[in-house]
Amino acid sequence: MILKDILSPFSGWRKVFNEPVALKDPVNDRPGAPRYRGFHKNDISACIGCGTCETICENAAIDLVPVEGIKTKDGDSGLRPRVDYGRCCWCALCVDVCTTGSLSLSNAYIWVSEDSDDYRFTPGVDEKPWQNEPLGWKKPEGDYEFYPLNRVAPPHLHPEERHDSFVEMVKGFSKEQAMSEADRCVECGICTATCPAHMGIPQYIKAIRNDDLEEGLRVLYDTNPLPEICGRICTHKCETVCSIGHRGEPLSIRWLKRYIADQNPSEKYKEILNTGNIEPNGKNVAVVGAGPAGLSAAHYLALMGYSVTIFEALPEAGGMMRYGIPEYRLPYDQLDKDINYILSLGVAIRYNTRVGTDISLEQLHSQYDAVFAGTGLHQGRSTRIEGTNHPHVYQSIELLRKITLGEEIHVAEKIVVIGGGNVAMDITRSLARLQRQKYGKVQIITTSLETEEKMPADREEVVEAREEGATVNPGWAPQKIEIVDGALKGLHVVQCMSLFDSTGKFNPQCNMDVANFFEADMVVESIGQGMDISYLEGNVKDQLTFDPRGRIVVNAQFQSSVPWLFVGGDIIQGPDVIHGIANGHTAAKGIDQYLTSI
Amino acid sequence: MNQLFKRLEDSFGLTAESPRKPDQYFCTVDANKLVACITHLRDNEGFTILTLLTAVDWIEDGKFQLTYLLNNPATKTDLGVRIFIERDNTSMQSIHHLWGHAATFQRELKEMFGIDFPGSPRVDEPFLLEGWDDIPPMRREFDTKKYAEETYFPRPGRETNDPAQYMKQKLYPDE
Repeated sequence: MILKDILSPFSGWRKVFNEPVALKDPVNDRPGAPRYRGFHKNDISACIGCGTCETICENAAIDLVPVEGIKTKDGDSGLRPRVDYGRCCWCALCVDVCTTGSLSLSNAYIWVSEDSDDYRFTPGVDEKPWQNEPLGWKKPEGDYEFYPLNRVAPPHLHPEERHDSFVEMVKGFSKEQAMSEADRCVECGICTATCPAHMGIPQYIKAIRNDDLEEGLRVLYDTNPLPEICGRICTHKCETVCSIGHRGEPLSIRWLKRYIADQNPSEKYKEILNTGNIEPNGKNVAVVGAGPAGLSAAHYLALMGYSVTIFEALPEAGGMMRYGIPEYRLPYDQLDKDINYILSLGVAIRYNTRVGTDISLEQLHSQYDAVFAGTGLHQGRSTRIEGTNHPHVYQSIELLRKITLGEEIHVAEKIVVIGGGNVAMDITRSLARLQRQKYGKVQIITTSLETEEKMPADREEVVEAREEGATVNPGWAPQKIEIVDGALKGLHVVQCMSLFDSTGKFNPQCNMDVANFFEADMVVESIGQGMDISYLEGNVKDQLTFDPRGRIVVNAQFQSSVPWLFVGGDIIQGPDVIHGIANGHTAAKGIDQYLTSI
Repeated sequence: MNQLFKRLEDSFGLTAESPRKPDQYFCTVDANKLVACITHLRDNEGFTILTLLTAVDWIEDGKFQLTYLLNNPATKTDLGVRIFIERDNTSMQSIHHLWGHAATFQRELKEMFGIDFPGSPRVDEPFLLEGWDDIPPMRREFDTKKYAEETYFPRPGRETNDPAQYMKQKLYPDE
């Protein structure tokens, strides 16, 4: 040992009175750089708990946990990300992929705690000093995106290619288009809860990505036996909650579903879906009405081995899907593709047979083990304003039915349609086509109580109706149909200010000072439909329970208080196709439960 | 720099790329001319510093890429010289005789990628991974997640939920 080794520990003492080199207060003296990737922040009111952050995390540092005070609801799982800083490497991929943009990193990087469990917390929920720190890492603006924010649009016919015929206006996706649209999906599954049928949406989109369309078809049929139809005209509530829709355009879920159904040829369905050999179980079920609810119930009952007979009042199956929705949105051959597959499972249909007139419900009860009724809403409602009893005032639903049946309908030169929903758009656009065929021009005004922003019709329906020459002029309350010497002259309206009163009751308020007159020689009412359940008569009717609004009360399986009678579809829930399909599926399971338990 | 590349092209069959930054250039040479090329760069062209030596695994092409990053302190210019070598049972000539610290880079590459540098001092000794008993972890066929799951235990008390499943449980448990 040399002298230096002995003395060197003491040489430091020489500097004991010097200015210290170490920072006295490192937190304040040395803040992180403005874009430093420090501890997480989360705007939990913007976060929807989609879990994309958890999925992308290479280090499995993120868990999704329930948070008190945040409810699970449509579009929000109620979960929020919790970060384990024992694993986090501060790469910020979670921030960059965040679908809502709620997640960011603060530039705080110093934090001391003796309890290692403190280093696992839920940002935005567990109070932290950097919660409101404005600096730190945010997803950079510009082209830096993990998925394209804009949809791949399927090809549409231009207005002038479609405005005078009923050919289908939206063409399906090509393979390349479908695959790149499918590639935008982050597989969070938030949409599944909102879909009334709870379809496996991320699963079938994944099948498209994997180019395994047979698997895609199997996923569709798990919950929905009418994919060609829903792939075209579903109200796509799923798309309203798509996580990608928070910062960009939601996935085109509906067109992706159509792509799967379109690509699978009908002759291969049985093989793909493995439904070639269904063992009959010896029981039979009658279904009233071949609409979406009835067809769905029939499909799932047939798969379980039931012998199913559908009683349909009209000459063809499909219900509102055939007799309500125009052909340019849903071509009949595609409707038939779905229906024929269900029939191929052994489901029988007795057409032109109206239950209640041609055969009574009691008769069905005596011949079948159970009955499912999905008779829908086929009676138009009237505004009952003065003049509605004129022969040139029509109900949209009746006109649409006649167009499908190929019957001649009155098409006037000037038409006013009252209604702001999708059915109003259907009749507007159908009549616009017929006007153009007959007169070479369109003179149709569609008006609704609701203002433009609040119209219940799908946005694209309104846009496309206008493209086809119709005038959509919302925000007016109809007052009176002007009739002079027996001839219809037009519709008097006043400005509608609000629809509902403070208690939420339907009670339109009008400004009588702002009036308008829509000239017309034909008026079509399209303000909603009612049900005709006159076939529920006698004993059955007496045993049924009705709610204050006149709807039949059913349990979670859609079983009425008459145990053998299940009821679903538009007369219970909706109205739309996908609720009907979901009801039919649930009722089929309920009927099976009921018939195996007795 | 262009003149330098021209000279090198003639002698070493080099392929130059357009510069990424005003003071940063890259070029590719045949692996068997690498040592001669960088010796020339060091002794005659002023690139006296070896900044780093690193590898990229191009598993799809069956190749490793080695990048020798040199610096010319007089002109403050970086030059990355790249070579491509076969991925299987691969070895490369050592350059520890040119720069002593190259041995450390080479030892690291042996450990992380399995690229051998025969004759390089202590090349077979562990660099970071004491007691490593798997394939070199930077090779892309190494499954980091699987290794972590088999080797380490998860922190106790962690649990997570799948959003779709959780929503079903909360919103429609019976359907």
